[in-house]
Amino acid sequence: MEIIKTEKLRKEYKDTVAVAGLDLTVKEGELFALLGLNGAGKTTTVKMLTCLAKPTGGDAFVCGYSVLRDADKIKPLIDISMQETAVARKLTVEENIAFYAKLNGQSKEEIKNTKEKLYAALELDKVKNKRASTLSGGWQRKLSIALALVSSPKVLFLDEPTLGLDVIARRELWNVIRALHGSTTIVLTTHYMEEAEALADSIGIMKDGRLLFLGGKDALFAQTGADNVEDAFVKFVGGGVSDA
Amino acid sequence: MRKAENRIVVLAGRNLKEILRDPLSFLFMTAMPLLMEILFYLLFHKLTSQFEMRALAPGIAVFAQAFLALFAGLLIALDRSSSFLTRLYVSGARSREFIAGYILALLPCSAAQSVLFFLVGGILEPAFFSRSMLWGVLLCLVTGLFYIGLGVLLGVICNERSVGGVASVVIAGQSLLSGMWFPAEGLGGGMLAVMQALPFRNATVLVQNAVNGAADPAADLIKPLAIVLAYTAAVCIAAVFLFKRKMERA
Repeated sequence: MEIIKTEKLRKEYKDTVAVAGLDLTVKEGELFALLGLNGAGKTTTVKMLTCLAKPTGGDAFVCGYSVLRDADKIKPLIDISMQETAVARKLTVEENIAFYAKLNGQSKEEIKNTKEKLYAALELDKVKNKRASTLSGGWQRKLSIALALVSSPKVLFLDEPTLGLDVIARRELWNVIRALHGSTTIVLTTHYMEEAEALADSIGIMKDGRLLFLGGKDALFAQTGADNVEDAFVKFVGGGVSDA
Repeated sequence: MRKAENRIVVLAGRNLKEILRDPLSFLFMTAMPLLMEILFYLLFHKLTSQFEMRALAPGIAVFAQAFLALFAGLLIALDRSSSFLTRLYVSGARSREFIAGYILALLPCSAAQSVLFFLVGGILEPAFFSRSMLWGVLLCLVTGLFYIGLGVLLGVICNERSVGGVASVVIAGQSLLSGMWFPAEGLGGGMLAVMQALPFRNATVLVQNAVNGAADPAADLIKPLAIVLAYTAAVCIAAVFLFKRKMERA
């Protein structure tokens, strides 16, 4: 079942076309990696799908609802972890989770369960009494992702979740993302090709606001003749392969 | 509790914690004005009426509110720069709920400031204690609302690097235009007219008159109150409008 579907989705800023008529679909439970160079339109696409930015053309449907007309219905079903760590700096890890849970209307009992679930999933109990501002970059990013999971979203958007992390912290986060796989549909944007290769079920490659490729890794390798995502990506964005 | 009200209370709780856990906010919103109140009273109250407690304590209470504007602005600008607000936009909260959350967090700080400065004023000069202090505290909530709204507006307009500097200009302007440090009546007519048209002097005069009793309630209370309320409405509406625009362009 398609949980995300875009139809000629377009976003223009003054004299720039950030996304030019995007048509893509993501199936429920899938981990979809959206790849592209800087300025390819990945983050703008995510912003439109999360109702943070209004399309200037076309439409997109998330969980069957239009981003143009049904933002209030979409927002309770999704969440996002941004490129930059987005946490309340002077609140402890526990307070951050409780704050976000309360904001989502959870009861005391539900908040308790949410905390326990997230402590177990991300090992956050080790740092639960520490203020977010005192955590390392890796722990802050874990907390940021934990906050995106508080509402148990049907669709989770991870915009460059491992940007700037060291290799160990990145691998730890991969395990977190893998653990979510299947129960939650994940849309991941990343610059790290090995991340897409390790995690994604299907891949979209964007360049200059356009989708050059959409499909599974096998189809990507078959179309490019490459045996890894990085080489295939370079062939696509470098112009070695004609558009899909 | 309805969803929107719940979100405002939750946002306010978080904002209050963020501000109170910043040692600088305690220093500037409380310790420094308190020290000024004590020192200026002890050094100058016999020299000039500006520093008699009946003028000084209400003046300091309003002066300290300019720091509420500074810390409201800093918090919002930092939230905006860190993507924290972008995350919250997805939660479904609306711009007016965000603004209400910031204001609701800082209003108790405003009340605590005025109670503290009035109590210390009464300790230093027992004759200062009166029932009208309660009116002073109440009207400090109104003037506090103006300064908090102004700070919210600054936080929406400025980025995290510029908001401190711009808020400092507001604090300096407030000191100059409130006329609490010098007798404003001695200034030229043009300057006095400017001061009377802006909210800063009206806020100070309003609280001073409320605490000391008003001979002419229409001129001494209602007129400055109306001016402060008009500016408060203007800054709050502008803050909500601009915040909404920023949300749409996140």
